[in-house]
Amino acid sequence: MSSEPIERRVSYIGDRLRGSQCIICGKEYFRGKNYCGKCGRKSFGKMKDIDFFYGQGNLEVSTLVNQPTNRFIKMGSYIYGIVSFNEGKTRVPGRLTDVIIKDGETDISCFEGKNVIPRFRRRYAVGESDIIPTISLAFTVADGYYPHQKYEIHNPKKEYETPGIVGYGVYTSKFRIKEGNMERSVPFIDEDAVTAAVEAGKMALIHSGIDTSLIGKVYVGSESNPYAVNPIASKVVQVLKLGKEEKTCGIQEVDAVDTEFACKAATSMFKDASSLVYYPKINTTCAMTIGADNSQAAPRTELGGELDHFVGFGGSAFIFGMQDVIAEVEGWYSCTSDTPDFWRRDLQTYPRHGGRFTGEPAYFKHVLKSCNSLMKQLKLKVEDVDYFVPHQPNIGFPVKVARQLGFKEEQYEPSLKVANFGNVYSGSSPIGLAAVLDVAEPDERVVLASYGSGAGSDAYSFVTTSQIVEKRQRQKFTVYSQTKNENLEYVDYTTYRRLKHGL
Amino acid sequence: MRLQKPAIIGIGRTKFGEHYEKDPETLIEEAGLQALDSAGITRKDLDACYLSDYFLQVTNKIGLEEGFFSELLELHVPMEKTRSFSSAFLNACHGVQSGKFDFVLVGGMEKMTDRWDKIRDDLMLLEDPWSYYAGCTPEANHELLLKGYIKKFGIYGKQLEKLYLALAKISVKNHQNATKNPNAQYKRSITVDQVLKARNKSCKALGLFDFAPISDGASALILASQEAAKLCSDPPIYVLGSSSATDYITFPSREDRTGFMANTLAMQAALKQAKVDIGDIQIAEFYDQSTLLEMISLEDLGFSNKGKAWLDIDKFCEESYCFYEIGGRKLFVNLNGGLKADGNPLGATGGAQIFEVVKQLKGEAESRQVEINGDLPKLGCVSELEGFGTKAYIHILGRNQG
Repeated sequence: MSSEPIERRVSYIGDRLRGSQCIICGKEYFRGKNYCGKCGRKSFGKMKDIDFFYGQGNLEVSTLVNQPTNRFIKMGSYIYGIVSFNEGKTRVPGRLTDVIIKDGETDISCFEGKNVIPRFRRRYAVGESDIIPTISLAFTVADGYYPHQKYEIHNPKKEYETPGIVGYGVYTSKFRIKEGNMERSVPFIDEDAVTAAVEAGKMALIHSGIDTSLIGKVYVGSESNPYAVNPIASKVVQVLKLGKEEKTCGIQEVDAVDTEFACKAATSMFKDASSLVYYPKINTTCAMTIGADNSQAAPRTELGGELDHFVGFGGSAFIFGMQDVIAEVEGWYSCTSDTPDFWRRDLQTYPRHGGRFTGEPAYFKHVLKSCNSLMKQLKLKVEDVDYFVPHQPNIGFPVKVARQLGFKEEQYEPSLKVANFGNVYSGSSPIGLAAVLDVAEPDERVVLASYGSGAGSDAYSFVTTSQIVEKRQRQKFTVYSQTKNENLEYVDYTTYRRLKHGL
Repeated sequence: MRLQKPAIIGIGRTKFGEHYEKDPETLIEEAGLQALDSAGITRKDLDACYLSDYFLQVTNKIGLEEGFFSELLELHVPMEKTRSFSSAFLNACHGVQSGKFDFVLVGGMEKMTDRWDKIRDDLMLLEDPWSYYAGCTPEANHELLLKGYIKKFGIYGKQLEKLYLALAKISVKNHQNATKNPNAQYKRSITVDQVLKARNKSCKALGLFDFAPISDGASALILASQEAAKLCSDPPIYVLGSSSATDYITFPSREDRTGFMANTLAMQAALKQAKVDIGDIQIAEFYDQSTLLEMISLEDLGFSNKGKAWLDIDKFCEESYCFYEIGGRKLFVNLNGGLKADGNPLGATGGAQIFEVVKQLKGEAESRQVEINGDLPKLGCVSELEGFGTKAYIHILGRNQG
């Protein structure tokens, strides 16, 4: 049984690793404190809020835990130790995550003394009906797959007339399963759609360099929210401190909502985000749209198990605004029909799908319709488009649909990431878009066509700006770095199922 | 006002181990009766009772121990419950010293095996929740303390092997001592090889034979004012010094993570109160939740210099003595087998530690009895910890009034 008030208090501090610092003597504390123990009463009102969310610590001492307490048993063996921040001004307990300790592995000395980064993860396993506990006292090594990056706020330089993307981020996990010519991203056991959404949002903030208080609306699209009722968006807002922070009551002044429409839950909101930041009467400077999924699939031997060959894990986040835009939204077109080609009933663990019908009357009809209509509306010819980004449920469909639309390989190939990450459901076409924005030059046109079972498709046209190049320097954790990375770890099918099932 | 000197006039304990058939009330009854009998008084002589347990609320759903005890004794005197036996004992001492009480029963009990499947999680209640949230276990901090110690004092190679061996010998010694203790949980000797093999199996520096077990048990004693003690036939054992100190619960937040400051502070205060020198202490019961804590206690309590305890006990290691020889003096530690072999039913553990020192000082320890240069020991000390060095209690006991 979990306690709602305790979960709120622990995650409020722990998800962000909030602390305080005495401005008189500089002493730091993990957790908030109204006065400094050293300076006493004179420090009342002189304590500054700090947090270690974007910080880098050092794993001072560590030990292997191979007989965890009950709630940690599903994690298997892990490394636990003391992490110091700011040259030992603050020390916190921490667990290394994203490390699979093999049976009989004893030498963990390679981790000691390493710089580590706090990561937002699930805390431990609880009952299926309990609140899911989270914390950022999980750490990964700074010289590994996930680099340490500071979050620096840049003052906007330029105002645009058209809304567009001002920053974006992609997060996929360190683990992969490789079968044939396909690699797929596998969550670590303490990851889920919520942690992926937070990571993607964090990457988008780092890339955009905007002040988090400027975000007025957050959309999180997912079909694998671990809760049937309780938004992912509220967690994202709290952890990333989106919107203006109202400290006295611990509230963020921001609107946040989850959306669901199979794999198009995020792309559908691109237009809403764009419209909102464009709306003149309300000052919503920025809106964030996240698509994140721990894409669900039944085991291969069960009904619907075919999906188990394609599903991935990860998230993408796009921040829309009117300042320092890197890609303007040129136009959009969406279409919808009642075509239930993929569904999951309430209380069912895994989705099912319509087999061979998922292609012809479902995916192709909607994607072709939205793309053709958008191009007609904007009077675009195929050769006016530099990059085409389709939804990528498998390797075959996106290539086939691109060819049917008349696109050449050089136009669609840069966006195809399904062979690297698998189908990231709500994050699928947005990750393709991010891959293209990672390499696009200024004044290039990108057409995206998402697909969501049920069914519908959103087509967008973006035109890149000159600022795309300068902002690129701010992001080390690019799509490329997540596909070609020496620290990727490959797991077998059994491990993949265990990790994917989670805590 | 002259403070009364508290004196222990009776003491009792159960066997430690697994008491599947017995509930906690039965255990404390057994220990309490022994204590009353050995004191030669009856329950009706008692002015107050101080009880201790950590987990009865959790393990046995008993939330108001005093009420159970009142019913057990059919007594309505003041009763208070604390966590550790030492805490109850210290409070009882205060009651006696103030002159408020003449006869006080101190009793501790624990029934850890009643919640076998969850007790390791329960033990985390004694550490800070953030460490628990980050994945800490009851053993993990011992490992971190050891790692930090090795790092701080630059111990490596052959020296490190020597340190590990010293720790293993501590376990061997304690098990050896327990073979002579009829109440011990593990009355069998072990070898260095067994300790090392268990470490290999655990894939860590410390293994199964380095850690104290989970136990059931109870202990009790009768504390009297020196005036009241005079009425008893047996000469009592006096509490010359009794003190405690407290440290942050969050181990990573502590200044020094290679020892327990609270233990040092409590010892200094107790020595001062007892007006004795540390060199006069001949026997000691340390809180060896792990072999490491026995070694660290030598430093924290001032018997060895910081970073040097493992060198001080080198001779003990080589010759397999049952005592440490530090600075030319013999120090007998954990003659009952320590927490490692005697058992560690948390709320009762301190009682068993005091039990041993009292028995040794009185010359009633039978086959365990030690003599120093042909004489019975005169001074002994008991060190009990709560949590991972969060609270420390020291009691200095002596045959003479000091």
